[in-house]
Amino acid sequence: MTQLPTHFESGQLSATSAARVTVVEPMARFSLRAGQGDVTAISEALDLALPTKIGQRTKAGATEAMCLGPDEWVIIAPDSEAVRLESACTAIYDQAPHSLTAISDREITVRIDGPRAADLLTLGCPRDLDAILPNEGRRTVFDGVTVVLWRDAEQEFRLDVWRSFAPHALSLLVTGCTELALE
Amino acid sequence: MTNFRVPGKGRVDQRRPVTFSFDDKEFTAAKGDTVASALLANGVHLMGRSFKYHRPRGPVAAGSEEPNALIGTRRGKGQFEPNTRATVQEVYKGLAATSQNKFPNLKFDIGEINDKAYMLLSAGFYYKTFMWPRSFWDKVYEPFIRAAAGLGVSPTEEDPDHYASRYLHTDVLVVGAGPAGLAAARSAAEAGLRVTLVDENSEAGGTLLSEPQALIEGAPAWDWLAAELAALTDLGVKIMTRTTAIGYYHQNMVGLCEKLTDYVATPEANIPRERMWRVRAGQVILAQGALEKPLVFDGNDRPGVMLAGSAQTYLNRYGVRVGDRAVVVTSHDSAYHAAFDLVESGTAIRAIVDTRAMPPEDLVSQARIRSILVLTGHTVTGTSGRLRVKSVRVNPVRDGWVGEARELLCDCVLMSGGWTPSLHLFSHTKGSLKWDAEQQTFLPDRMTEACLIAGAGRGLWGIEAALTDGAEMGAVAARELGKPIEAKRLTVEQDRTGTGESNTELPSDLSQGKARAFVDYQNDVTAKDLRLAVREGMRSIEHVKRYTTNGMATDQGKMSNINGLNIASDALGKPQPQVGLTTFRPPYTPTSFGAFAGYHRGDHFEATRKTPIDIWAEENGAAFEPVSQWRRAWYFPRAGETMDAAVQRECKATRESVGMFDASTLGKIEVTGPDAVEFMNRMYTNPWTKLQPGRARYGLLLGDDGFIRDDGVIGRLSQDRFHVTTTTGGAARVLNMMEDYLQTEWPDLKVWLTSTTEQWATIALNGPNARKVIEPFVEGLDISAEAFPHMSVAECTVAGFPARLFRISFTGELGFEINVPARHGLELWETLYAAGRPYDLCTYGTETMHVLRAEKGYIIVGQDTDGTVTPFDAGIGWAVGKAKPDFVGMRALKRPDLVADGRKQLVGLLTEDSTTKLEEGAQIVLDPAQPVPMKMVGHVTSSYHSVAAGRPIAMALIAGGHGRMGETVHIPMPDGVIRATVTSPVFYDPEGARLAI
Repeated sequence: MTQLPTHFESGQLSATSAARVTVVEPMARFSLRAGQGDVTAISEALDLALPTKIGQRTKAGATEAMCLGPDEWVIIAPDSEAVRLESACTAIYDQAPHSLTAISDREITVRIDGPRAADLLTLGCPRDLDAILPNEGRRTVFDGVTVVLWRDAEQEFRLDVWRSFAPHALSLLVTGCTELALE
Repeated sequence: MTNFRVPGKGRVDQRRPVTFSFDDKEFTAAKGDTVASALLANGVHLMGRSFKYHRPRGPVAAGSEEPNALIGTRRGKGQFEPNTRATVQEVYKGLAATSQNKFPNLKFDIGEINDKAYMLLSAGFYYKTFMWPRSFWDKVYEPFIRAAAGLGVSPTEEDPDHYASRYLHTDVLVVGAGPAGLAAARSAAEAGLRVTLVDENSEAGGTLLSEPQALIEGAPAWDWLAAELAALTDLGVKIMTRTTAIGYYHQNMVGLCEKLTDYVATPEANIPRERMWRVRAGQVILAQGALEKPLVFDGNDRPGVMLAGSAQTYLNRYGVRVGDRAVVVTSHDSAYHAAFDLVESGTAIRAIVDTRAMPPEDLVSQARIRSILVLTGHTVTGTSGRLRVKSVRVNPVRDGWVGEARELLCDCVLMSGGWTPSLHLFSHTKGSLKWDAEQQTFLPDRMTEACLIAGAGRGLWGIEAALTDGAEMGAVAARELGKPIEAKRLTVEQDRTGTGESNTELPSDLSQGKARAFVDYQNDVTAKDLRLAVREGMRSIEHVKRYTTNGMATDQGKMSNINGLNIASDALGKPQPQVGLTTFRPPYTPTSFGAFAGYHRGDHFEATRKTPIDIWAEENGAAFEPVSQWRRAWYFPRAGETMDAAVQRECKATRESVGMFDASTLGKIEVTGPDAVEFMNRMYTNPWTKLQPGRARYGLLLGDDGFIRDDGVIGRLSQDRFHVTTTTGGAARVLNMMEDYLQTEWPDLKVWLTSTTEQWATIALNGPNARKVIEPFVEGLDISAEAFPHMSVAECTVAGFPARLFRISFTGELGFEINVPARHGLELWETLYAAGRPYDLCTYGTETMHVLRAEKGYIIVGQDTDGTVTPFDAGIGWAVGKAKPDFVGMRALKRPDLVADGRKQLVGLLTEDSTTKLEEGAQIVLDPAQPVPMKMVGHVTSSYHSVAAGRPIAMALIAGGHGRMGETVHIPMPDGVIRATVTSPVFYDPEGARLAI
């Protein structure tokens, strides 16, 4: 198996005729938790309509949110937006209590694309990928490791993996790029 | 060498010869051959020796059910596989195959002596013979039996091949690509569903490959098959050959093992050898067909005796005649067709011996037309020949009387005892079976999964019946999935339908006690063994099976189970359903460990978590130790330094000046919300209400049983936000426990939990010079002793990075823990390392951390506690809030047994000689003079050489320990009893003066 270092620089990890795996530049990432009664108020404060169905995504400018659970969202944004989002949340905390926690450094994000990107994910992801439409996503597992999967197009995905699990999960993706290219 | 290949016949490519070796002798095969078909084409039937009696054996079947022809295959170093079925292994150029269970060679095997001693080696032989004397079992009997037993030889070298795995979701999974499976796949695919069709063979077709005479919709079977496969591919059906459905698990999860290289002469290095598919299917259609049953008669295992249907397969699919002169013995119509096919290819049929008095008239007359002698109402009572059958002994049977024998010369005997529906996968689902009295077999009954059975698997016979049923089941599956479709009917001409009779062992005029009538070929179980088991009191088929080992070999009783059941039920005088059928278990056929392991071997065996600073530790020569899933720097040895020396140096440097430690693995949970403090009060034993923002406190977490589960320092960042730390190994467990309480017990609390373990890299600096090292880098915070006292927390900037800075200590020295976003961890570490040079800053690992905390008597959960230790046992009752209305575990702490005297309590231990270091885990007794077994009152939990104490120190859990201060206890070891004194567990700076610097 391919051995990967613990320290990831942005850039391509693997590219074959089947698929490419690329570590993307870090962005601001938050975990947002809030009760259902407060979703509207927070949406207004963030200027982003939080999706209410698990797996759904919404976007406003470069800020994007995905619903991961009945009271849980992941929000990503350019670093420059981080302060605005935090202050917006702080401003309505008393009115709509919630938890906004920075997790930008908790995960590494890789982009997976190429003609067999979806097949590559079947090496480690037990979900039915046909049931996850483009512009949706899920929290799921890859090779036994918890991940957040974003489907951006039919054959384009992003995978958020906890930093310390990344060498394990990504090495299987790299192995898979080679394996699939030989078919 | 004799050539049994029939020119122009079969699906193998006779123009493309392939050479391979068997027992170091070179043979020529045709492309597409199996090892068995290639050896048979060369006139070789003898392929192995049996397991128990070492009897010469040849293939009895042509597929994966083969019990006899087991071989070893070897491609290169580490690429040896024992017990491969010669009937399945495809020949490739250079394949090296070897026979098994023989010494010195296959034709002359010393182990054959067992065969002469068969009267001694009956069922239950081991249980009876090796009982006495009892003491012989461990040293003599078991090692001997283990050495003598076993099929083949276990590989000893590391397997260099790759193994792979994938998940697959499909609407309909069809197992078996014979006529029923093909038709089922067609219906489901035309309904617009995602369909996957798998078959264990090298090509799809099933029965059609062995019955080219059939005309389907007017087209020859093989032409129809090619067109149908193309049509299915066009419809998007995923067709997988060389792929065995090995197990059927809950909720329509089916495991498939796909062979990718075992048939290729020189496979590409990066291609996996096998791939395990974990399939989740909306509907599963089992179209696995039926397996032919042998007839049970004396000598039914000689090389050359094989199933009639298999002989037909060798002829039609591989173009191989299995002999020149055959005798067919049967109780089923199907063997007549095998005989007719063989006659047409030039094999003489000496006779068709039918156990039935009145076989169908048309078959008998067709035989007569071909000048074949038909002996109806006959039995088979023996065979002759050592390495190959030479003759078969047959007798007429009239009204239960066995008449005079006649000997028929032959070089092969083709037998058919009828067909058994293949219900192994269905059995995995725990679906129930019902006995069909007419067909004398079990058929599927009640389903437990979204599963359908099509074709011969549910007792239907003939290609047209299978096609019709398959199409119908495909339509049923489509309807269940909300896509209704009409099933298509296909007409078949020259179909071979038929019926038969079921038997126990065939009647004989000879002593049945001496008959070697095999039921289970692979485990050498005879009809006599089964009857003996019943005589000796076995009543259930499950007991008969275990006593005789019938059906327990690697073939899982594919051929033997129904014959075994018929004989057992006859011996018991009860109908078969009352005796029962044993359960088939996965895998369907033997599956390599590699396929199960998949990618998870070597470095990828499981995830090894590493911190952002791990790479520095590696470059600087750290020794590592695993801590839960993490690998952590254990100590940093200098050149030539032992672990003890390194740890003592690291301890000394930290206490004298400053040490730096990577604490990033500590679990971190952010607890946020208006009810955060209430939640903390309920979860942890400590009171939190009065803890001011900016202050930190040691937190203790119990289970609801009152025992210590986890601990860690918790900082209050603001009124509504806590930064909780947990033990390294406890991080996920603690978060789960908290979420569990929050979701099930207190859903009304407005508080949310977020794991931030990996958001932060954590660097701990400890020692009197710790402040001097970090002070120049801290911005926006006064960290002087007065402004930032012990147990403080603040958000600030350290070396330009946003940070959460704690002033806490797990060493007893002045200490800081700096949390920065993980991406900056390594850079901060390097910055501080450089800045610490003037103070001889020393990096230390987990071992030094353990020693330093033990010198202070700080516990490690899981080392000094074991899930049965309360806060009071551990001497940290001060962490339990006395005035709190409730917290997890509070009620349990009042239970009589948790407040009783004599509980094991944590104390310090000092060995009397001041030099001996105790062994962790060593047991402690009060009186070393008492007789063995002694009463053990506790054990050593932690033990180290302490530089600070100038002697070894230890912690121990001892019954009533807190009341034994100053007493002497004894630690018996193999080389003597060690005396130690019970003390307080705080060995260093008991006043805590050094924390306040």
